Amino acid sequence: MHIINQGMKNTLYLLLAFFLCTFSACDKEDQYTRDSYRNFEALWQILDKNYCFFEYKDVNWNDVYDKYAVQMSDTMSSDSLFNKLGDMLSELKDGHTNLYSSFNVARYWKWYEDYPDNFNEMVHRHYMGTDYRIAGGIKYMKLTPDIGYIYYGSFMSPVGDSNLDYVLMYFADCKGLIIDVRNNGGGNLTMSDRIASRFAKEKLVCGYIKHKSGPGHNDFSNPYPIELTPSDRVRWFRPVAVLTNRRCYSATNDFVNKMRLFPQVIQIGDKTGGGSGFPFSSELPNGWSVRFSSSPILDAKMRITEFGIDPDISVTMTQVDVMAMIDPIIDRAVRYISENAPEVEKPTMLYNSLSDSLRIQ
Amino acid sequence: MNKLTVCIFLFFGIAQALFSSTKDTLNLYENDAEPIPYSTNEATMFGVGGYQILDTYLSPYTYKGWGISVANEKLKTVSLFNYHGVRQQNFGIEFSSTENDAKTASYLSGMLNYGIGYGYRFEPCKNLRLIPGVSARALAGFIYNTRNGNNPASMKLDVAANLTGMAIYNFKIREFPLTLRFQTEIPFFSVFFSPNYMQSYYEIFSLGNYKGVVKAGSLHNYFTMRNYLTLDIPIYNYTVRVGYQNNIYKTNVNDLTTHMYSNSFMIGIVKEIVSYSGRKLKNKRGYNSAYY
Repeated sequence: MHIINQGMKNTLYLLLAFFLCTFSACDKEDQYTRDSYRNFEALWQILDKNYCFFEYKDVNWNDVYDKYAVQMSDTMSSDSLFNKLGDMLSELKDGHTNLYSSFNVARYWKWYEDYPDNFNEMVHRHYMGTDYRIAGGIKYMKLTPDIGYIYYGSFMSPVGDSNLDYVLMYFADCKGLIIDVRNNGGGNLTMSDRIASRFAKEKLVCGYIKHKSGPGHNDFSNPYPIELTPSDRVRWFRPVAVLTNRRCYSATNDFVNKMRLFPQVIQIGDKTGGGSGFPFSSELPNGWSVRFSSSPILDAKMRITEFGIDPDISVTMTQVDVMAMIDPIIDRAVRYISENAPEVEKPTMLYNSLSDSLRIQ
Repeated sequence: MNKLTVCIFLFFGIAQALFSSTKDTLNLYENDAEPIPYSTNEATMFGVGGYQILDTYLSPYTYKGWGISVANEKLKTVSLFNYHGVRQQNFGIEFSSTENDAKTASYLSGMLNYGIGYGYRFEPCKNLRLIPGVSARALAGFIYNTRNGNNPASMKLDVAANLTGMAIYNFKIREFPLTLRFQTEIPFFSVFFSPNYMQSYYEIFSLGNYKGVVKAGSLHNYFTMRNYLTLDIPIYNYTVRVGYQNNIYKTNVNDLTTHMYSNSFMIGIVKEIVSYSGRKLKNKRGYNSAYY
């Protein structure tokens, strides 16, 4: 019979001590608290280290701290704290910066709230009727026998390559195309690339991205080029009018930024809403979530488009237009294409050198 | 990514080249008669335990919860060091669900790991075997934050060279045979993936900016520790292995910190397997097959 001798006991004690050390290896991190000041401090710190547009927007974040720190108190309610922190974030004038709690979302939407809508659902329905087609997230139809019309209302709605093939082929006998992205608040950047690649003749740098490389306000990585590669499927080289308003934000702003690089594309309507900072999320000690712009996306000339992209042809929709069920932005696009697009007697569809890519030109 | 892939293959290639034996299955001869084959000790264990996860790419706060795991390990004597060599392979998969202290957000995480190690077995005293050695381990996994929008997940991908130590002690309590094993593993060099500070996965994978995302690690920026304490208990025709597994995974690079701690209690079945294949199948004296 073997028994555990003294040496073995010592070994077991050593093992026990080792495990106790291991258990205690867990680091002490910031813990849950509803304390107003600590949540304010945490939010301010997160933005201070990670927000990317302080200098561009000329925001003195230390002044913001001084302004709001004195408004914190031990006795304030969650609702009151939320409103104060939301007000602090709105100093950044950034639609990508939000505070989320279980009971409210703090947001800055003045990038479209303070401007004309330049889009009306009823008028839009009047133009589209009910006999339009739907391919993925795209609604499309022929406005006239030779002008195609695409409405893409959200970059959250996926559009596949097959969808785009069918849509563009449907317009093969049209001399021009209208892509209406008004009221499109953004979504997936991949969709932006996928659609824009149908209008590119060659690979091009359409912008740059930077990310924060450290906690300093000007700590950024070197700009990394964002390249757009032409699709190897059906592509469109005839005139295109992209319709925009102030509610074109984030991925839609990115889409317009790419499309305006193509010579056959013109932007008509109102300035886009902007939103060129790629957002990140973080968290406060009380469990609220915060989203903020952290990686600036620049245009091809390394300019920041956070506050929007001006149209080539500015058109405003008035209340009189709405009452008359007229959409002057669509009408202007139709007129532009009618005046500028060469007549297409029969579809000119050519296979080019990009494998079996089909060009509509 | 290509660099990481090359490194993974390099690690396992070197490990195989250094330690693999042309005589993988060894024979000792007893009384110049029957060869005694070396068996493989294989255990499959299921575990449940507590998890703590901090990943500052997702949140500055620690999430806590529970997880489950499955682990398979194989231990076999090989010809290395004149048959004092031991090869250990283990494969593990674990899944955890954790949440923040405020209960407003949660993580789902999954980890796969495979390790192969070689050690030198010696017996400093009766019934005690010590097996120091080295191992290579690859790990792939994710931590998914169910609430975050544009940074919803953190990918874990790394390969590490480790020092390992195992102690196996056979003893009896009232004639009841038991086997106690303790093993630990600590890396001395690693190659692992980490996004740069505040760099989005969109920039890395969609735009292809991989610069700085593959890091060389050592104890200062990459520390993992895997500790096992197991007890083998023969029950009727089975051997049950119960144990405790403690995993520590810490990285600190690009101003991003990840901590994953888990403490799991494991239970499983141990099998001692003798492999017969090829020409050995012709000698039917050592086994009774239902097939051959």
